[in-house]
Amino acid sequence: MAQQDSAAFGELVRRHQSQVRGFLRKLTRDLALADDLAQDAFLHAWDKLHTYSGKGTFIGWLLKVAYTTFLQSKRRSNRYGEILDEIGQVDNSQVVEDSHEVSDLDRFLAVLTDEERAIMILSYACGLSHREIGDAANLPVGTVKSIIFRGKEKIRNSFDIEDHQYG
Amino acid sequence: MTSKIINMAERRKDAEDRTLEALFRSEPIVDDGFTVKVVSRVRRRIWVRRLSLPIAIVVGALIGLKPLVQVATLLPDLLRLVPADLFKLDTLPVGDLPQVSTLLIGAAIVMAITMVGRMLEE
Repeated sequence: MAQQDSAAFGELVRRHQSQVRGFLRKLTRDLALADDLAQDAFLHAWDKLHTYSGKGTFIGWLLKVAYTTFLQSKRRSNRYGEILDEIGQVDNSQVVEDSHEVSDLDRFLAVLTDEERAIMILSYACGLSHREIGDAANLPVGTVKSIIFRGKEKIRNSFDIEDHQYG
Repeated sequence: MTSKIINMAERRKDAEDRTLEALFRSEPIVDDGFTVKVVSRVRRRIWVRRLSLPIAIVVGALIGLKPLVQVATLLPDLLRLVPADLFKLDTLPVGDLPQVSTLLIGAAIVMAITMVGRMLEE
C-alpha cells in the first residue's frame, strides 16, 4: 500500500517538479539551494497531502507549500537573506543556462521586496490566478492585486520593460 | 472619450503583462533524477515511521525490564508491610475522593487540550 502511495506520489512529483523548482530557482537564484528547498517542499507536501481538499488547483497548493518552505528556511537561516540581498550580484557559474534571462530577470527582481518578488513570480512565471496567489501567500485577493500593481510600477519606473531581452 | 482612455489603459496593461510573462518565462526543467531522490526520501520516511514505534517499545521494554523485575520481586514483601485493615470500606476517606463534577471538568479540559493540539498540528 505504502509502495503504491509513494509510486503515485512520484508521478505527482515528476509532473510538477519543473514548476516547483522553477519557482524556487527564481525566488532564490541559487540552483542547489532551490533544489534542496524543492525536495523539502515535496516532503512537506507528502506529509500534508491529506490537507489538500481538492479546492483549487493542485499546483497552486503545491506552490503554497513551496513558498511556505522557502519562508521557513529563510527564517531559520540568515544565509537565505544574504543570498537574496546579493541578487544583484549573481554568480553566473552557479545559475541558469540563459545569461540574458539571468541578467534581465535579476535586475527586475532586485528592485522588488521579497514578498513582491514571490507574488510576481507566482503570477507571471507560474501563471497562478490572483485568488490562487492569495491562497498561496495567505493574502486577500485585493492585496495581491495591489502588490502586483506596485511591483509593476517599480519595474516600470526603474527600467524600460519594452526594451528588455526576452527570456 | 473616457472609454477610449480605458481601452488604451487595458491594452497597455495587456501588452505590459505579456512582456512580463515573456520575461519570467523559462524552459521547463528536465527531471535529472530529482523525482527519484524525492521518492526515495519519502520511502525512507515511511520506513522510519513504520519502525519507530516497535523500536521505541523494544528499547523502552529493555530499559524498564530490570527495575520492573526488581519491583515484582519486592512486591510480596512490601504488601506484607501494609496494615490489613487499610482497605476496609468504612476507613476510606470517601469525602476526599474526586466528585462527579470534578471528573467532568477534568474530562472537558482533557478534551479541549486534545482538540487544540490537533488544530495546532493541522
